[in-house]
Formats: sequence, C-alpha cells, structure tokens
Amino acid sequence: MTATSAKAMTYDNKGILSTLGRDGLLQVILIANTVLMLFPVVIMVFSGFKSNMEIFNNPFAVPDFANLSNYIDVWTQTNFVRYLFNSVFVTGFSLLLILVLGTMAAYAIARYEFFGASFLLLFFIAGLTLPLKLAIIPLFILFRDLGILNSYWALIAVYVAMGLPSTVFIMTGFIRSLPRELEDAARMDGASELRIMWSVMLPLTRPAMIISAIHNLVPIWNDFFFPLVFIQNDALKTLPQGLTSFMGEYTTDWGVMFAGLTLAAAPITVVYVILSRQFINGMTSGALK
Amino acid sequence: MTKLMLRATIGLTALAVAAPAFAQDISFWSWRQEDREQYEQIIAAFEEQHPDINVTFEPFEAQNYNTILSTALAGDSGPDVMMVRAHGAFETVAAGGYLMPLTEETVPGLGSLPEAALAAETLSSDGQVYAVPFASQTMLVIYNKDIFDELGIEEPSTWDDLMAVSQTIEDAGMFAFANGTATAWQNETIVSALGSSIIGKDFYNDLVAGETDFTDPRFVEALEAVQEASQYFPDGFVGLDYASSQQLFASGMAGMFAGGSFEIANFLGQNPDLNLGVFPAPVAEEGDEHLVGLFFDGGYAGNADTEHPEAVQTFLSFLTTPEFGNMFANELGNISPIPGVEFESELLQEVAELNENSIPYIMLVHFRYEEPSGSVLLQAEVQRMLAGETTPEAAAQAVTDGIATYYEPFQN
Amino acid sequence: MPRLRLTGRGLWITALIVPPLAVMVTFVAYPILSALAYAFYDWQGLQRGDFVGLANFHEVLFTEPFATWTRNAFVHNVIVFFSLMVIQNGFGFILAYALWRELPGAAFHRVAVFLPVVLSTVIIGFLWKLFFHPLFGPVNQIFRGLGLDFLAQPWLGQSSTALASLIFVNAWAWVGFPTLVFLAGMQRIPGEILDAARMETDSEWVVIKKIVWPLVAPSATVVFILLFIGSFNWFELPYIMVGLDGSPFGSTDVLGLYFYRTAFGNQSAGVQDFGRGSALAVITFLFIAIVAAFWTVRLRKREIQL
Repeated sequence: MTATSAKAMTYDNKGILSTLGRDGLLQVILIANTVLMLFPVVIMVFSGFKSNMEIFNNPFAVPDFANLSNYIDVWTQTNFVRYLFNSVFVTGFSLLLILVLGTMAAYAIARYEFFGASFLLLFFIAGLTLPLKLAIIPLFILFRDLGILNSYWALIAVYVAMGLPSTVFIMTGFIRSLPRELEDAARMDGASELRIMWSVMLPLTRPAMIISAIHNLVPIWNDFFFPLVFIQNDALKTLPQGLTSFMGEYTTDWGVMFAGLTLAAAPITVVYVILSRQFINGMTSGALK
Repeated sequence: MTKLMLRATIGLTALAVAAPAFAQDISFWSWRQEDREQYEQIIAAFEEQHPDINVTFEPFEAQNYNTILSTALAGDSGPDVMMVRAHGAFETVAAGGYLMPLTEETVPGLGSLPEAALAAETLSSDGQVYAVPFASQTMLVIYNKDIFDELGIEEPSTWDDLMAVSQTIEDAGMFAFANGTATAWQNETIVSALGSSIIGKDFYNDLVAGETDFTDPRFVEALEAVQEASQYFPDGFVGLDYASSQQLFASGMAGMFAGGSFEIANFLGQNPDLNLGVFPAPVAEEGDEHLVGLFFDGGYAGNADTEHPEAVQTFLSFLTTPEFGNMFANELGNISPIPGVEFESELLQEVAELNENSIPYIMLVHFRYEEPSGSVLLQAEVQRMLAGETTPEAAAQAVTDGIATYYEPFQN
Repeated sequence: MPRLRLTGRGLWITALIVPPLAVMVTFVAYPILSALAYAFYDWQGLQRGDFVGLANFHEVLFTEPFATWTRNAFVHNVIVFFSLMVIQNGFGFILAYALWRELPGAAFHRVAVFLPVVLSTVIIGFLWKLFFHPLFGPVNQIFRGLGLDFLAQPWLGQSSTALASLIFVNAWAWVGFPTLVFLAGMQRIPGEILDAARMETDSEWVVIKKIVWPLVAPSATVVFILLFIGSFNWFELPYIMVGLDGSPFGSTDVLGLYFYRTAFGNQSAGVQDFGRGSALAVITFLFIAIVAAFWTVRLRKREIQL
C-alpha cells in the first residue's frame, strides 16, 4: 500500500489526466477480462439448472435455481460420488508421499554436506523438465509386470514421481534458508539427528510444505492422461476420467452435462476461492525464486 | 422375459444341485459391460444343459479391451473363452497363437454359419477359423417413419428419389439428414450407408481381385453422390460430432440418419417413442441392385492354453445354436448370423433380410491390417471432401496412394 | 567433506536419500531410458520383437505418409507455441501491469483471472466444446444475437478455424498463470528504483521497457520455457475437443495426439504400433530437452548482461 501512495505522489506533479486516462483504460481491460473469465463459468452453472429446451432457446437466462433435477440425476445415476472418492484418495495419498519423500531428500541435501549432494539435487531437478507422458509405454509395461495396472498404485506411483522434483526444489531452497543455530543448539543438547529433524526443523518448514502441496495438488487432481491409460475399471476412475465416460453417456442431455461439469468443478473451485492466496503462491512458486 | 427368468432360476437351481463333483470353471471375457444381465441369462440357459460346466462372465470397458486382452494373453493370465474382434483387429490377437483353432468336429454347429461370417474370424496366414462369429453390423439409412408419413413421402429407391425426399423434408423445416462429419469415423460409415449400391458388387469383386483401385469411376461416383447428399446435412455439419448428430435424430429433428444398424438400439434407448424404418443405399438407376454395407463385429474364441478344452468347445458349440441366436438377437437386439434365428423386432428382421444383398464394409474388412489403414485415409479424405477442400477424384487418389505404400496390387 | 560411511550419520543420510531416489530411478529414469530403447525394436502388440535399429525413426521421419503426418503435427505444435506466446503471455503481461496498479477491485480481478487455471482441462474442454456447438452453442447464439451472423461458424469443424479455436480456449484457461507470475515479479521491484526512474522520464512506456521488463524477465524465462514444454506436450485439450484424429482431417493434429494414436491405436480406424510410437516419443522428448536447455542458457546469459 505504501508503494501505491508513493506512486500517487509522483503523479501529482506530472500529468494527472494522462494517469487517470491510462488507469481508466486498464480498469476497463481488467473488467472486460474478468467478465470473459467468469461468464462461461456462470453459464455452465446456470445451464445445470435448465432443460435442453431452455438451454437452446434462452442460453443466457437466469434459471429457476429450485430445479435441482439435473444435479440429482448426476449425483444418483452416475458413479460421481465414487469418482470423487477416488480422486480424493489418489490425490491425498500422492501428496502425502510426495511431502514425506520430498522433505527427506531435501533435508538431506540441504542440511548435510556429503559427496554428490549437488549432483543429487540436479538429478531431482532434471525431473522438472522431463515430460513423463512420453514414457507412458515403458510405464505401462512396468506396471503390467508389477501387477499394478488398473489400480490406485499405478497412479500414485506416477504422481509421486511427477511431484518429487518440484517439491525437492522448493523444500531444499527453504530448508537451506533456515538458521543453523537451532540445529546446533539441539545437537549440543545431545539430540539425535532424527529428533532434530522431526522436532526442531520440520515444524519450521510448514509454509514451504503448504506451497509444495498446492503446487502439486492442482495438476494431480486434474490429471486425465495417466488414468486414461492405466485405469480401465469404472470403479477406480478419477473425477476427470469419470467425467469423460459420463459425458459420453449423457450426450443428449445438455442440462445434465452442464450439471456434471459444475459438480466436477465445484470441489477445487470452492477450495480455491477460500485459499486463493495460497493457491496462487503455490502454483506460481516454481517460476519465482 | 418371465420365461427366461424362470429358465434362469431352473438353471441356477440345477447348477446348485449338479455342480459339486465334476464342475469345470471357465471364465468368459467380454467388452459388453452393458449386456451383463442378458449374458448371465444366456449362461444360465447353457448351464442348465451342461450342469458340469460353470461359466463366469467378466466384462471390461470396450475402449481398452484390446489392450487388456493382449496384455493378459501375453502374460498367460488370459480367460478360457473371450470375445475377440473381427478382421484386422482379430488378426493381431489370433496371430500370436493364443487362440484355439476351431473346426466342425471340435465345435459342432460351426459349419452351419455363413461363409462370410466365418471369413471374418479366419486368420489369413493359415486359413484356420479361430472364433465363432456373433454379430453383423449393417450400414444403411435409418429414417423416422412419422416424419415420412406426415410429409407423405416413401422410402427412396433411386438416388434422385433420395434427393427429392431430402428436399421435401428440408422444405418442411426439418433436417433431412442428422449426420455430421466432425467425428472422423462417421465419414466412413456415411460413405458405406449411402454409397454401397453405387459402389456395387462388381467394383468390390474387381478390387479384391486386384484389378482395380479406389480411383475406379464406380467408387468415385459414390463419393460424388455422398458429396451431393451433404447439401442436405444440417448447417455447420462439419462441426457436428457423432453424439450431436445422434441427438438430432433421436430427438426427432431430422428425417434420416446414414449409419450403422447398431444405432437402432441406441436411438430407441434415447427415445422409445421413435417409429423407425430402414432402407438400403439408393441406386443410381432403377433396376440396379440395392445393397447395404456389411461387416462382422467379432466372435467368441477359446484360449489355446485352457485347462478345460472340452468345456470350452462345448460352450462355443452352444454359441452356434439357434437357441442362443434367438436370445442374442431378441434380448440384445443384435443381428445374429446363425441360420434360423427368428427376430421378434420387425426392424431387425428387415435388416437381416437386407443383409442378403450386401457388399462388405470395405476398409474395415480388407484394409485395416497395416498403417496407414484404409479407414484412416478414407475418413480424413471424405471429411476433407465434405468440407469442400478436395474433390472426389483427388480424395480417391489420396486413399489409393496411401494404401499403395504397402499393398502391392495398387502399386502400378 | 566427510566421506559417506554406512555408520551413524552416513547411514542416516542414506536412509533419507534412498527412498525418494528409488522412486525417481524406478518411475522416471528407468521408463525414460526404456522409451529410448523401445524405439529401436519391432513390436507386435505388447510383445517386443527384433532389434531393428533406426527403422522406426526412419519410418516416422522419412517414409510417406508418416513423414507428412509427423511434419503436419509438428508444425501445429509450433503454431500453438508461438500463438500462445503472443496471446497468453502478451495479454498476461498487460493484465499483470493492470493488476499491479492496485486499482479498485484488483483483488477480485486477481482471483477471477486465475480461476480457470485450477480447473481441469477436461472440464474446460467439454465446456467449450458445448459452447462451440454449431447449432445450439452459446458462442454462435451470441454472434447471431448481435447480428453478426457471418461469425456463427462451425468453429471446431473447419480446418481454417479449428486450431485457432483450441488456441483461444487454451489462452482463456491459462492466461492467469503468466499474469500472476509477472505480477509477483512486478511487486518485487523496489519502490525507490521506480520513483527514481519516473523522475527521469514522463513516459511510462520507457519505465516498462527499461525497468519493469528487465526485472520481471527472470520469472518470464521460466514461464516461457514452461509454455514451450506445455505446447509440445499438448494433448488433453485437443483430445477432448476434437478427438484423437485431430479432426477435421488432421488440421488440429499435434504430436501428443499423433503419438497416442500411433502407440495405442485408434479404435475406429487404426493399428497399434509401439515401435513407431516410441520413436515419436523419443524425437519429441529430445527436441524439447535440447531446445529448453539451449534456451535456458541463452536467456540466463542475457539477464546477466542486462
């Protein structure tokens, strides 16, 4: 806020009108953009309350919000609840493993000096640029041989592998920045390395863990490609994948399709709106140093 | 239905009584998840006759069935009996040596099936049959009888009739055809559904004999006809995908749909009030033979390594009987190739009769064995042609050139 | 530097490092190296056949019609990348600058612009596919309502508009990402530097060019490279909106679709070939890795000079 007032003071001297004009234009751009961003989402939600005829004839009209039949259809006649559970389970379990394994590696690399530490860091970070999608054929054969095709574990394995590089990267940077004194004091008191890590250092890394978790949450929650190849059993499908079979089944009923899209978008949208600052920080963290 | 339920109950009871000592368990894989209930009834009927055999039905998702099946067979964890595809997609499984060769001796009843049906499940390299063919699909025109009656029009016989009928429907403010071309494979079915009579048996025979290719005027003429018909497709049909065009027809907004007989069950499922009729591709001139496009969908195969070869053969033999054929046709709405099947649905009966004058669905039957497959080429070229970006001649040339990269008879 | 011994501290470090390392080796390094190896074999379904050297690569790159298909898909990836670079990142920069002024409602605009970024591509793809429906889609309804009937086109069905429509949807969904990265970069510019610059010149354009852009550039580098990788891995959006074939007639085909179609087969037309599929994967992968590495080095150098 201080920056703004400083700016404002500078402008007092030079051409207040041009500043106002420019800001006016920028405000118009922002409002136009926000309308463009939200309008499709609003139409999606509205259409979920309509019948085909209403959608085709009055696509932009405000619907009767008491008409929940499409939503009820999606909820009761499809495996929506099951898909939701699968997504929550796979995403949650993957995030847990990513955080545990990522913190372990980052902690070792950041807090101890040992031969090959910087090479190890490089190895993990190289994973950031490797598109794992292109290794889908070997992964498919590997999972077949491990007997985990068509199970949660195939997805979790891939997601953990996808999430580790960024997590190690974010966590290493953060753990390095923590002061040495606390650790040394604890060591003086004769605490074991495990105890130092667990009780002294880890509590301090919470902000970085939250950033890492969100950084990975969105791509894992939304992933469609890996379930498409690895999961055939309907009962194991994740939400985005289940949505495709659902959309294939209800092709003729636009209201139900929009209701399905709305329900599928709802969980992450709600969490995002509540935690928007953390989401934005988490997702852009890879690009900022 | 109740009769079947009763039969199923008796079957299950019989099974419970007879099963103990010699029961042989065989597994049966399928890609028809939606047909589970009917298959269980069919199996119950079989087990009633063969109490010593226990069949377990295990359906998988169609989209990935091939991958699952070939993985399982390669890993020695395949089923005893399985549904396999026909033609090219069948070859990839059969060529691996995973399937049990079938003959009239081992599977009585096999010999009674039509030649063309067996050919679909025959491996080209050794000439052996490896599966009991189960259904055929027919490419034809499905129409909305109520719209035709209302406008006082009749099933068209010649191409000119078809154009006149289309114009009448369009003048009445409806879509003549519901077809769209945004989904690639729809382009192939449209050509077969509308063009088979113009393509003709002669062309087909010459093609198979290696005496002509797709630049033949008889084939180009069929493409021209399809192009002409597309003026009666909905506005913006190039952006209309498969699902949307099904929707247009099922909701009664269009008079005709050029497609496969597999759409009938689908349309009636979406809108049970529809009053449907079918007619074969119109002929160029009165007196020519009316033809439909035909292909076989798949078959039931036995695992070469099964522990119960006799039980498998007994079950496969049951799948050639009219008893099974009737259940398959009337409970599942399929066109069974088994002779003597009686269709309860008039529409299916009509389709079965139309099948007597047919030419194969050419690309799937003959040119889906290597890349670039004839289907990939034809779908893209027809899509391009109907968008107005190529001519029928150029499209036919491109298809021929693509296939010629591996198919010798086209190489000169 | 103490040597790693498998006692005490060494054991502890090993225990920390080995599990995550094992995951990376098993599920990243090994599959990627295998993909490389697979490309040199002939495949029958999922069964590996004979070693065939560079035959798969030769087919994909030089044998017709595969060579044309590969080139066609590659060119589309290039178009996607450059278009998004201009539309998505360019507009993102303008939005970031607008948000940076902290005009009334900025907080709300910030949340709104980022909303589609958190939504699944599957949802976005289906949503826009319905919107673009030639007969009933709201897009054409809006154009007709405004009297702009000539704009009511089958957007996804014409070779002239299909790819552009997909690019538009991608930009709609992702513009929030560069916007907020740029915004974060701008917010880190020290106030004193800006004030000093504004004393020197009246032109805000000069301030943007000389101060804002150079200081935002480091995050821009990462955004550009992520866009590059994303553009050459494009799959979900075209898969949902136009299907595996890159309809109409290959005008939206990209390497991702082409690779998937080749490796896993197209149910309604094609034949499955892991060998050619792997060759495509390797070529795509090498291309991405080489360009991304080269580019990172160059851009980093330039930043230092600035």
